[in-house]
Amino acid sequence: MHISEGVLSPSVLVAGAALTTAGVAVGLKRLDHEEIPSAGILSAAFFVASLVHVPAGPASVHLVMNGLLGLILGWKAFPAILVGLGLQALLFQFGGLTTLGVNTLNMALPAVICYYLFGWGAKAGTRQHVLTITAFACGSCAVLFSGVMVGFSLYLTGEAFLPAAKLVVAAHLPVMFIEGGLTAACAFFLRRVRPELLEGQYVPKSASQF
Amino acid sequence: MYPNPHHSSSAARNGRRIFCFFSVLLWLAFSNIPALAHKVTIFAWVEGDTVYTQSKFSGGRKARNSTVVVYDKEGKLLLEGKTDKNGLFSFKIPKKTELKVALKASMGHLAEWTIPAEEIMGAADNSEAGVVPSTQQAAPSTETKTSSELPATTAVSLSLQDVQDLIDRSLDRKLSPIVNMLADSLDRGPGMSEVMGGIGYIFGLVGVALYFATRGKRK
Repeated sequence: MHISEGVLSPSVLVAGAALTTAGVAVGLKRLDHEEIPSAGILSAAFFVASLVHVPAGPASVHLVMNGLLGLILGWKAFPAILVGLGLQALLFQFGGLTTLGVNTLNMALPAVICYYLFGWGAKAGTRQHVLTITAFACGSCAVLFSGVMVGFSLYLTGEAFLPAAKLVVAAHLPVMFIEGGLTAACAFFLRRVRPELLEGQYVPKSASQF
Repeated sequence: MYPNPHHSSSAARNGRRIFCFFSVLLWLAFSNIPALAHKVTIFAWVEGDTVYTQSKFSGGRKARNSTVVVYDKEGKLLLEGKTDKNGLFSFKIPKKTELKVALKASMGHLAEWTIPAEEIMGAADNSEAGVVPSTQQAAPSTETKTSSELPATTAVSLSLQDVQDLIDRSLDRKLSPIVNMLADSLDRGPGMSEVMGGIGYIFGLVGVALYFATRGKRK
């Protein structure tokens, strides 16, 4: 999922960085001081998830967990993923600092898209199986969209789109299932013990503050 | 009042559960440490007049059928090839300058290795030296007919060349395990300290963010 340094053309890097900056700005604007700890914990979970390694085909892939971040954080997934990826680039040499913008966009935008597509399932009062199914879809689709976006970034730099995207998506098929299951388990667990963490995102701001 | 203690105890229980949950996540991450990580590495070394490269995904998985590109110091493309099923690719030294060997694995992975000019020069000298004896070998055969003193000196120089070649060959052979070990040690995955450092950074950032977010409130 992490695109290395020196692969993409400068225009793609700049465009990715610009879009990421916009996303992070939106995320930070929506970040309430009460939500800072949960964003931090999820950022740490994202940071560590990349170490859980799934052997798949010719390449090696790892968990991404952007679906979970999208489900719980919405737009705030942008700053959380930026921090996680920045530290992965510095400490693990995954990706790189110049590709940080593009990589953040590739992982955070699908998280936000999945938040809009499947987030309603996490609202208070939805049935248990609805929550489980939407959370599963959220986790797996976020990885799928990320794969498509990585393929698209490579395409913009001159690689053929379909082979590149197919390869990335195919390699991440097992990850999609694992992430779907993990996201569903997390959602189920959070609804049980900490529903306000899961649903806080979907309560109107004025109502959630008091 | 009455509901408060009840609430706080359930909150504590929930806190404990959440703590357990994240410790399980962390444990999952660490239990995979020997086979983790997500980047590619390429390692290149010179033996004789050939450059050998070994390509891997971190975690030891060989980068099969990946493209290896060789550039010179100015970034001019010299040659290109594919790794075999063991992630190996070798080529004859195309040019006696510093060489950059880049591995282009699938999915936007890229790794580079630079072979310094001295290493190439050393190999090139040897290969030139290897050429010299053959002319000298040809020379003595003609000279043996005419003079009887010369063969002795050329024989000495010949044996010197042979010794040089022998030493090079046996050094290459003896050093190859060390070279392989170096190649293996290059792609050590991130360890405990990096992981803990990263998590510490994130918690620190949370602290800083909370400080600034609540500063207005405390006034």
